[in-house]
Amino acid sequence: MLRLNQVVKHFAQPDGDVTVLSGASFHLPAGRSAALLGESGSGKSTLLHLVAGLDTPDAGELVIDGHSSLSMSAGDWNRLRRDRLSLIFQQYHLVPTLTVLDNLQLQARLSQRLDPAFRDHLIDRLGLADLTRRLPHQLSGGQQQRVAIARALLHRPALVLADEPTGNLDEATSERVMGVLVELVRETGSSLLMVTHSAHMASFLDEQWRLQHGQLHQQHDQYNGEPAL
Amino acid sequence: MTGTLTRLLRVLITLLSHHRRHPLQTLFLLTGLVTGVALWSAVQVINAHARASYAEADQVLGAQASHWVRSGSGEGVSVDDYVNLRRQGWRSVFPILEQRLTTADQSVINLIATDLLALPDEEAGTATGLPAGGWMQLVTPPHEAWYPETLAQQLGLEDGDRLTLNSGKALPPARVFSREQQGLRVFMDIGAALTLLDRSHLSYLVVAELPGDAAARLSRDLAALNPDLRLVANQQRLDLTELTQSLHTQLAAMSLLSFAVGLFIVFNAVRFSLSARRHTLTTLRELGVSQRLLLGAIALETLVMSIIGTLGGLGLGYGLSQLLLPSVAATLQNLYGAVLDYTLLVQPVTVLQAWLLTSAGLVLALAWPLWRQAQRSLQDQRDEPSQWQQDQRARRRLALGSLVLALLALGLYFQLNSIAMGFTVLALILFAGAGLLPWTVALILRGLQRALPASAWRLNWACGEGLAQLGTLRTALMALLLALTANFGVDSLVDSFRTSLSDWLQQRLAADLFVQSDTLDIDALLANPGDWLVESHRRNGLTVRWENRPTQIRGLNTDTSDTRALPLAAETDRSSAWFDGDPDVVLANEQARYLAGIELGETVQIPVGQQTVAFEVVGFYHDYGNPAYQFYLPYQRVAELWPNAGEQGLGLWLNDHDDALARAEAALVAAGARPGDWTRREDVLAISLRVFDRTFAMTAAINALTFTVAGIALLASLLAIHQQRLPSYAHWRSMGVSNREWLLIAGLPLGIGLLVTWLLSIPLGTLLAGLLIYDLNVLSFGWTMPLIWQFEPARSLFWLTLLVAGFTFAISAVQARLKLPQALKHLGEDAA
Amino acid sequence: MRFYRFICVVMLFSVAALVTAESRDTDPSAALDIMRASGEGYQTAQPGQPIRFPEDHLAHPDYRIEWWYLTANLTDAEGQHYGVHWTLFRTALRPGSEAGGWTSNQMWMAHSAIHTPEGHDYEERFARGGIGQAGVGINAEGRFDAWLDDWQLLGTGDSPVPGGLITSVNDITLSLEWRAEQPWVLHGDNGFSLKSGQGQGSYYYSQPRLQITGQVTIEGTLTPLSGEGWLDREWSSQPLASDQLGWDWFSLQFDDGASLMAFHLRQEDDGPYVRGTWIDADGQSRSLEEGDLVVEPLEWGEVVVAQGEDARKSLPLVWRIELPGQDARWTVRVREADSWLATLVPYWEGPVRAEGRSGGVGYLEMTGY
Repeated sequence: MLRLNQVVKHFAQPDGDVTVLSGASFHLPAGRSAALLGESGSGKSTLLHLVAGLDTPDAGELVIDGHSSLSMSAGDWNRLRRDRLSLIFQQYHLVPTLTVLDNLQLQARLSQRLDPAFRDHLIDRLGLADLTRRLPHQLSGGQQQRVAIARALLHRPALVLADEPTGNLDEATSERVMGVLVELVRETGSSLLMVTHSAHMASFLDEQWRLQHGQLHQQHDQYNGEPAL
Repeated sequence: MTGTLTRLLRVLITLLSHHRRHPLQTLFLLTGLVTGVALWSAVQVINAHARASYAEADQVLGAQASHWVRSGSGEGVSVDDYVNLRRQGWRSVFPILEQRLTTADQSVINLIATDLLALPDEEAGTATGLPAGGWMQLVTPPHEAWYPETLAQQLGLEDGDRLTLNSGKALPPARVFSREQQGLRVFMDIGAALTLLDRSHLSYLVVAELPGDAAARLSRDLAALNPDLRLVANQQRLDLTELTQSLHTQLAAMSLLSFAVGLFIVFNAVRFSLSARRHTLTTLRELGVSQRLLLGAIALETLVMSIIGTLGGLGLGYGLSQLLLPSVAATLQNLYGAVLDYTLLVQPVTVLQAWLLTSAGLVLALAWPLWRQAQRSLQDQRDEPSQWQQDQRARRRLALGSLVLALLALGLYFQLNSIAMGFTVLALILFAGAGLLPWTVALILRGLQRALPASAWRLNWACGEGLAQLGTLRTALMALLLALTANFGVDSLVDSFRTSLSDWLQQRLAADLFVQSDTLDIDALLANPGDWLVESHRRNGLTVRWENRPTQIRGLNTDTSDTRALPLAAETDRSSAWFDGDPDVVLANEQARYLAGIELGETVQIPVGQQTVAFEVVGFYHDYGNPAYQFYLPYQRVAELWPNAGEQGLGLWLNDHDDALARAEAALVAAGARPGDWTRREDVLAISLRVFDRTFAMTAAINALTFTVAGIALLASLLAIHQQRLPSYAHWRSMGVSNREWLLIAGLPLGIGLLVTWLLSIPLGTLLAGLLIYDLNVLSFGWTMPLIWQFEPARSLFWLTLLVAGFTFAISAVQARLKLPQALKHLGEDAA
Repeated sequence: MRFYRFICVVMLFSVAALVTAESRDTDPSAALDIMRASGEGYQTAQPGQPIRFPEDHLAHPDYRIEWWYLTANLTDAEGQHYGVHWTLFRTALRPGSEAGGWTSNQMWMAHSAIHTPEGHDYEERFARGGIGQAGVGINAEGRFDAWLDDWQLLGTGDSPVPGGLITSVNDITLSLEWRAEQPWVLHGDNGFSLKSGQGQGSYYYSQPRLQITGQVTIEGTLTPLSGEGWLDREWSSQPLASDQLGWDWFSLQFDDGASLMAFHLRQEDDGPYVRGTWIDADGQSRSLEEGDLVVEPLEWGEVVVAQGEDARKSLPLVWRIELPGQDARWTVRVREADSWLATLVPYWEGPVRAEGRSGGVGYLEMTGY
């Protein structure tokens, strides 16, 4: 589903170039979920942006859903993002002027994969049934993130990319959001790549990877196995 | 394809959802567009209408008018000569009586009369073009006088009313109806009019069509019939187009200014919609919407807006033009004798132009920034520099741009040679001033912050808040500056003009009585006047063509006190020769100097019959309001060179006995004049100034509208500010800020901004007035006058601004107060 | 007796004036004025008042309507036919004495029409009275003069006969000269011609046999013409009876020297009101009263009434005229169906041919269709 081959990425900084990725390689099979751990500024988010096509690598290749980054145009990236990927952010990124219902249907409508039954299922599972007519600013943070999750899954993407999805939420809410995210991703059959700095959140997923000195290493820590909901 | 369309629609709906959530800002966006387009299109409609009317200047009362038959002596055409021409087969000739009448309450109206049966277009003479039963009522006693609606309203007349003239006679019963090319004139049957006004001669004959060699044949027939009659080609159409060009340019410039002010509202609203939608755009991109699709949606949004703006603007503009037309028509008739009728049509080209203008404005204000936003890489979009930094950068950029504009204006000013260029300089100055404003306000706010003692923390806070508000407030302040500057500048211009005109009239209208009569035997009157007469001044003259324009030749008595006191705008040392009666020198009006480019001391060739005669120009005099060139020569010289020159009026100075006026009037009647042929000095002055005021009523109207638009801009931005600052206000409230403190902190920056704006408008307005008076006025009309600077307009504008600002601030403050509880609740939720 | 159309002009103005007066609702007596003007205040034509020459050739401003009416059938050297019809109408706009000048209450209208081998042309003109633009009078040379602008019917003496006409129809110019052997014919009762059973009538006399020579100039080409014409003089104050729908009028000049004037007034309820005058070859005339004369349409045909448009009317183009007492009958056919004048009050007026006891030519006017 997702493969990184010797990906290199530098950033120009006032005090010299910073190498964020120095030939990182990684493989995420279809239907699996992986957490990407690392220190602040280690380049986790950059890696995620590369996978989403929001940024381009300086060297190396990414293969997403069978498409190689080496041969993809901007239009291909748009289509891929629209139809096969989805993004979940710490800041939710809901359209403030659309209702909850319109927000969560947005990407499915854009990719023309709106399945009303699945939508109702997601709304139900995410506990949004009473909120559909509200506007984002009328929701709490946890509720907003659940809308973002619904939006990310409704078109049944191949790969869900999440960047600190619970970063803005309190502990209890984080647990709940994380639990339902993992469960729904599994139900949808999507792969999930999640950037987090929290080992606890990482433990919800199948695999844990750590980004260190521009390289990716898989971890086999104490949290291994089914997380408790 | 359908997939793309669906997606496009989806993106569009997403973008447009902004408008649903912020209807007030959308309303302002549209208000800006609509008012801008309305003002522009109103003037456009009027200009187009006026031009169409000039094109009709080769028609008289609905009939073709290729030539005139006029009498050289100015006494008009006799009925016998007219009938003779008809009986010789010149059937395209029809009679016109035109007369200026003074009503009992000293209003001046113009009368035009003809014989409808004689009009060459038979339809115009009989069944059509008449109200029901019209012709019969017109020609049989008690007859009828037809007033166009506007004139009837001005005079307070309704159907059946009779207007009393100052001669004591009454016009026939009124009917509110207007013929083609009647303009603001009263129409009557010529038989009824000649009888009522006790006149024997027709003013002139109109010749409808003269194909082939007919003109030469008619000239011959005229010469054989009466040597005093001459055939004159109708060049009014060309003349009017040329003479009024300046006026229309000025109108167009004013309307574009209005559009620009309207555009400021649009900028304001767009800025808001942009900042509110920045994240939406990024999110859409992250959701895989291609740039092209986003651009398509933006283009569609722009299109929708532009169509709504255009249609609304045109609708409103049409209504406005109906309101403005009477004053424009008055101006054109007063200054140029151009006749406008009252059916306005919006031409398709105006609609298209309005739409293009709106779209251009929107592309500039809305689409361009949105596009740039959409263009930026996704990575950049999330890492916006802070609003604060952006504002500061924008202010600095604006100020730098202003400097460039100012330099450009300066550079252009030294090469100023056309009206269009003049208005470009004017626009550059205005926008340079506007661009400098935010930077100036920021400078002052920061200066205040620095200067204030630490104990005045609230004032300090207010200054800081002011800097935060400035980003949103700046466009409104800029719009206000434009409006204030234009108002102050134009007020100064009009005041200066009115003062100069009034002084000039006082000097020029020195005599006590002015007589204009075609029945008065002047020689008889002056031969044995009696002791009521102190002095008299008799003038003669005629109109010739010189430098392709109608040019008036006037013969003056060089010894009379008014001639002796004639103030010259410029003169050579030979000017005294003119006053001594030197036959080879002339005085010319300033129009000849500035529009025809005649220099002092230059020799001009004036047409006399088939030849020209050379004259040295030894001086220029002011001649306000005259679109034609004019030359002053001694009376005798004019009589010698042009034997057919007609009497151009007689000025009489009376002694100060109580009965002098009565005796003068008796003497005039005895010498053949009819009541109504003379006017007293005070009346002439009053009438002239009334004409002036009506002429400039339109300027005042457009100014007022511009100011209204600026007021709306202010309201829009204040509402936006409070909307954006609401979370901060909630935060302050949670910290225990009282209402009064809030008013101070939120309101003081506005006060400072307005004060700076008003202060800046004074020098800018003065500059504008100077440019209008010393350059544009001279280029347009050929008149010079001093700029008379007064503080009064600035003072009244200050109060007006304060009123508008107070009103809009109150509205927005109430809005903010109403929303505050909810904002506080959010504050709580976020904190939780 | 072609006053039908002139009445229409007058009615048009009066009715319109009435409508306006009503809608204005400001001065009810103004409406009454118009009523009075339309009915009373004028002299009325009555029997027993002798026709006097030459005075009665001139205008009678105290009567409401009056006309000088010429029709002529002419031929050129090659025998091609030309028809000429010229008329000058006078109307008083209101009763009362004629003051002249700009305050005159007289109005003038003239029609000039010609049939050439190329087709039918006509022109209509109007002029106010009082200022000399149009009128009828004795000129400085003592000659009878009737004119409107440059159209002019000028006698050689104080009578229109002998005399001539200078007129034009658009770009065609026409000048005619005439004389007559026969005396003036007074119609009806010594010149009083009754027009209905209710007493409406007019003064009416004619010169039925004008010997005409002249020339027409078309596009610069001058063509000499000669033939016979008919001059009518008529004046009155009263309109037709209210139930009279229209009017068919004949002037016929037979090859044997006799002439016939006949009119056929179509009435709403009754049968047509038919009267006429028979004029022998020696100029003796006899009034044709009820039963003396039969006038009936025989065939109807389509006539184009507006140029460039497909507007047509059906008119009787073949007529039967019979004098039962003389055992004489004719079939009268129009020469050209295309003789419609789309003037202010439109009508058909054109040359006709008669076949019967003897052949003949003439003019037919049909109104109210």
